[in-house]
Amino acid sequence: MAESERNVMERVDRSSEPPSTGEPAPACTFQVQSLSIWYGEKRAIDNVSMDVASNAVTAIIGPSGCGKSTFIRALNRMHDLVPKTRVEGKVLLQGDDLYSGSIDPAIVRRRVGMVFQKSNPFPTMTIGENVVIGLRLNGIRDQKFLNERLEKSLQMAALWDEVKDDLHKPGTSLSGGQQQRLCIARALAVEPEVLLMDEPCSALDPIATAKIEELIYELKSKYTIVTVTHNMQQAGRISDYTAFFYLGKLIEFGPTTKIFTNPSDRQTEDYITGRFG
Amino acid sequence: MIAPRHILGTFDEALASLRNNVLMMAGLAERSLDRAMKGLFERDDELCAYAIADDEEIDQLEMQIDKDGVAILLRFQPVASDLRRVVAAMKLSSNLERVADQATNIARRARKLNQHPPLTEVELIKPLHEQAMSMFKDSVDAFVREDVELGRAIVPRDEKLDDLNRVASRKLIERMAQDPDQLRGYLNLMFISRHLERVGDHATNIAEDAVYAAAAEDIRHQGAAATA
Repeated sequence: MAESERNVMERVDRSSEPPSTGEPAPACTFQVQSLSIWYGEKRAIDNVSMDVASNAVTAIIGPSGCGKSTFIRALNRMHDLVPKTRVEGKVLLQGDDLYSGSIDPAIVRRRVGMVFQKSNPFPTMTIGENVVIGLRLNGIRDQKFLNERLEKSLQMAALWDEVKDDLHKPGTSLSGGQQQRLCIARALAVEPEVLLMDEPCSALDPIATAKIEELIYELKSKYTIVTVTHNMQQAGRISDYTAFFYLGKLIEFGPTTKIFTNPSDRQTEDYITGRFG
Repeated sequence: MIAPRHILGTFDEALASLRNNVLMMAGLAERSLDRAMKGLFERDDELCAYAIADDEEIDQLEMQIDKDGVAILLRFQPVASDLRRVVAAMKLSSNLERVADQATNIARRARKLNQHPPLTEVELIKPLHEQAMSMFKDSVDAFVREDVELGRAIVPRDEKLDDLNRVASRKLIERMAQDPDQLRGYLNLMFISRHLERVGDHATNIAEDAVYAAAAEDIRHQGAAATA
């Protein structure tokens, strides 16, 4: 009997068992509490509170300028690098307040990796150097360890088989989709707890997009993933939870299936069905 | 509530066209059923023939709705209420086609009955006809008006129709025993009773789909879930 058939038979056997009484609440990696962010006088994020579930994909959707990118950048303190930015409220990562004075932003960014819209391998570095640069910057010099981590990270980013014989070539010699996976490998090399992705597929063709989506699906067993996307179908395919932002406010947040079949808020419905504005 | 217009005008047009075809199909199915029943009660073979002829157009519409629904899913990847409306329209078309099949079956039985002297027992069919027809019209109304309460209220009405079918069948079986010469006629009436009972089942399905389309609520099999 084929494995798929065995699975079906097991399901038939189990179907006589009583249903479980309710799902336990998922563990959460981030607890965002009353978060507001200002760029000078402009309030880009307005009093947002939400919990980000562990080992799940959370998609952030909303029209341009609604605060999606601002929100996920707050999850690894990237606003520290932007002058005149002010952050209020709390972002707890596994209970640690990222904005308390006692936390080193460099450590935050090691725990929370980020992949951007446009792939950005370091142009003067080889493929191999690009992947392990984070480890080198952290003072790791053990070549055996670096080689192991290099292979592991590229394997996890589903790029190893394509580049294993070309590790000495420049990172920029790869295709757009491969470069994006290289950036994911670079983010994974420092073994973060969370992977933030800001429109990771928006510059890619459908095949490269499918590979990244498949990768996201596989990575969520090990990482908590938060991704910004403008693509409603992609949000529906890859995410477990969806948050809809509008004008800096979190309008609706819930399981993706619920948001995309029966959103509670009229604004969410109008946005996802394309009736906005 | 009427949704604001979609940014893609072609999407609005495609949804409107799908909906219009469903309404057209519902109208034809209702007319076909009405003609079949009049053909029975008024012993009019011509009406029976019209009812049977309607079926072909209804079958074509069913295929058109499925084709258009698949095209909308492919081209626009609808979500939320749009997705529910497309899914419900495709399920409705299947139920409407079966209602029309029941109308055709009734018309064929009626034509057979019309070849023989009238049976007074045809009166047993009238309350079934009223109940099935009102359920069917209300279920289509619930879909058209996105009326959740009307849709929800149709489901328990099916029990009354089932009871009426049981009563009619029992009486017809008694008559068969008393008057075996009319066995064929009574059998045809029994089948017509059964066909109307099936119309009620399809009306219930349509009502359930109407509630799903309007409120994203799955009200199917709730009796079974409650007793499990």
